[in-house]
Amino acid sequence: MPSDLNPAERLLNLVIALVNTNAAMTKQQVRTAVAGYADAPSDEAFERMFERDKDMLRALGVPVVTVGTGGHTDELGYRIDQDAYALPPVDLTPAELGVLSLAAQFWQDKTLQTDITRAMVKLRAAGAGDPSVDALAGLAPSVRAVGDAYGPLMEAIEARRAVRFAYRAAYNGAVLTRHVEPWRIAARDGGWYLMAFDRDRQAPRVFRLSRIESRVRIVGASGAYDIPEVDTDVMLGKAHGEVRQAVVAVRPERASALRARGKPVPDGERQAWLARLPEDGGAGGSSPTGWDVLEVPFRSVTGMASEAAGYGAAVVVLEPAPVREETVRRLRAAAALGGVRG
Amino acid sequence: MAERADDRLLRLLGIVAYLDGAGPVPVEELARRFGTTPAQIQKDVDALWVSGTPGYWPDDLIDFDAASIDRGVVHLTEARGMTRPLRLGTREAVALVAALRAMKETGAVQADPARSAVVESALGKLTDATGEAANAVDVRLAPGGDRQVVSVLAAALAAGHRLRIRYVSSSDVVSEREVDPQRLHTQDEFAYLAAWCYRAGAPRTFRVDRILGAVETDVPVRDHPGQQAEIDFAALFAGGSSPPATVRFAPRARWFAEEVPVESVRNLPDGDFEVTLRVTNPGWLRSTLIQLAPYVRQVAPPALAEDVAGAARAALEVYESLGVGGGATDVTQPQGGSGAAFPPDRH
Repeated sequence: MPSDLNPAERLLNLVIALVNTNAAMTKQQVRTAVAGYADAPSDEAFERMFERDKDMLRALGVPVVTVGTGGHTDELGYRIDQDAYALPPVDLTPAELGVLSLAAQFWQDKTLQTDITRAMVKLRAAGAGDPSVDALAGLAPSVRAVGDAYGPLMEAIEARRAVRFAYRAAYNGAVLTRHVEPWRIAARDGGWYLMAFDRDRQAPRVFRLSRIESRVRIVGASGAYDIPEVDTDVMLGKAHGEVRQAVVAVRPERASALRARGKPVPDGERQAWLARLPEDGGAGGSSPTGWDVLEVPFRSVTGMASEAAGYGAAVVVLEPAPVREETVRRLRAAAALGGVRG
Repeated sequence: MAERADDRLLRLLGIVAYLDGAGPVPVEELARRFGTTPAQIQKDVDALWVSGTPGYWPDDLIDFDAASIDRGVVHLTEARGMTRPLRLGTREAVALVAALRAMKETGAVQADPARSAVVESALGKLTDATGEAANAVDVRLAPGGDRQVVSVLAAALAAGHRLRIRYVSSSDVVSEREVDPQRLHTQDEFAYLAAWCYRAGAPRTFRVDRILGAVETDVPVRDHPGQQAEIDFAALFAGGSSPPATVRFAPRARWFAEEVPVESVRNLPDGDFEVTLRVTNPGWLRSTLIQLAPYVRQVAPPALAEDVAGAARAALEVYESLGVGGGATDVTQPQGGSGAAFPPDRH
């Protein structure tokens, strides 16, 4: 029996042994019979080696199951569940494989790239051909890095275990330790979020991953909670509400990004607004009075107000009042930044 | 350099399962399939050859045809029961399924029925093979701008045709350009078109939601070797020589430090934070500071603060002439108040 096996070869022999065993193998049988384990210098060293190997196999998706051996002792036996081991037939066309290989570039995190690489190795082992990327030529979808929290959070979600981390509140900047039951990790609009049940607050909460200021530690037993059916957008508070229309006056040639979403108001309405707007000092443009009046769809009052305020005097919000007031609020705060006036 | 044990194990198992179905396969082809070198495949075969079931007598071992190996062909003759490819683990399934679901929803995929069909079918086969839907990760990418624009961009990319676009920059300047499209980067916040721009005579990256119109020409794109397009953001921050601006924000504006490429961030004891940044495009900075004004405590240098305040005052004058938002009936809160009712908004 070879005695200087490297870890990959020891693991390989363990898998072959546990797949081929009739019923199950006890730890002692593994130690004496499977190539690579007899080298363990002590009982503890063997225990550590075996536990680590078992965890590694499970992490790779190898279904190592624990069974009673049915003998006089209550010693446990191990085997690999053959039915759970195998990948069901996946008959992927070259174009579909091309799509999967794009997925490899989708993630920026090393841990997620490793997950994709492993999936590809398994699919290639199942006989998948060469990927063809023609179908999606020139497309490069990607999402920004999740960060170090991903690994432990995924592990926690998989095992339904609680976690603990230090979190900087957006509201006042204070850093507090939070205990939560993770449900889902989500990316929206450039941010990564953890959806979870907050044990301290006894309520569902959303955490921004970039505000987690410590390592995420897994605490407590597995299967500690159930994950409810939740709608990501509802929970993140970005459910797309009803679309409303704002009426804005825009200086000619300005705010093209806003114009691209809007359309001119009917002529009568336009005349009524123009009567109230100040005349332009002869700058002309496409409108004789120096303003175009547009209807622009929006969902978020603060979002619309923020965008309008950013254009300064080139965009004036006419309706509705809440958007106008929110815009003016921003402008007043900005005016106050510059010295004594304001 | 040393390969991780788990990655090598995966390949060792993969080689046996693959060869069991495929018959004799040249070493080079195996190396290509498993993304490694022929020398490594030789080492893998050597390791497999001495592996097997306990006892490790000749009949217990995985076996290959020795004569074939000498000819550079790997021919498996005994698999010791390791004939089935290993299933995907939960994490692997999550990483694939979440990426594909996000891709499926992008404008560039939805704009083309053939593309969306191939993503859909890949996703379907994958979820069939991995069992329960992987809901642990949910990613949505940027909507990516006007549907019609996106479909023109995607078509031109697929056909390799030059585009004519009308583009509005982040400082609100509109231009017409001819570009050779290279790539459509759909990210979580915005989508970008990387292209060679004939107007600039250089590679450029355009934010897709700022492309006001796009026309596909029938001129084939040219090769622009070694020209990597830089992202639109870079244009705002490109010149390291511009004078630094320092802004102190209330905690609610924390996303600014997280999403804008600032030079430094200083957390202050009261929860405020101070960022230093160098921006070559003053229009962008002015506009951003007005948008965030309720959460801005202080701006330096004073000239920048005055620039922001001046632009805001000019706008307020128009509102006053309309008879709204001015005078003593001020509905606004004092700056630096709780602001609780008004979460910051990035858009």
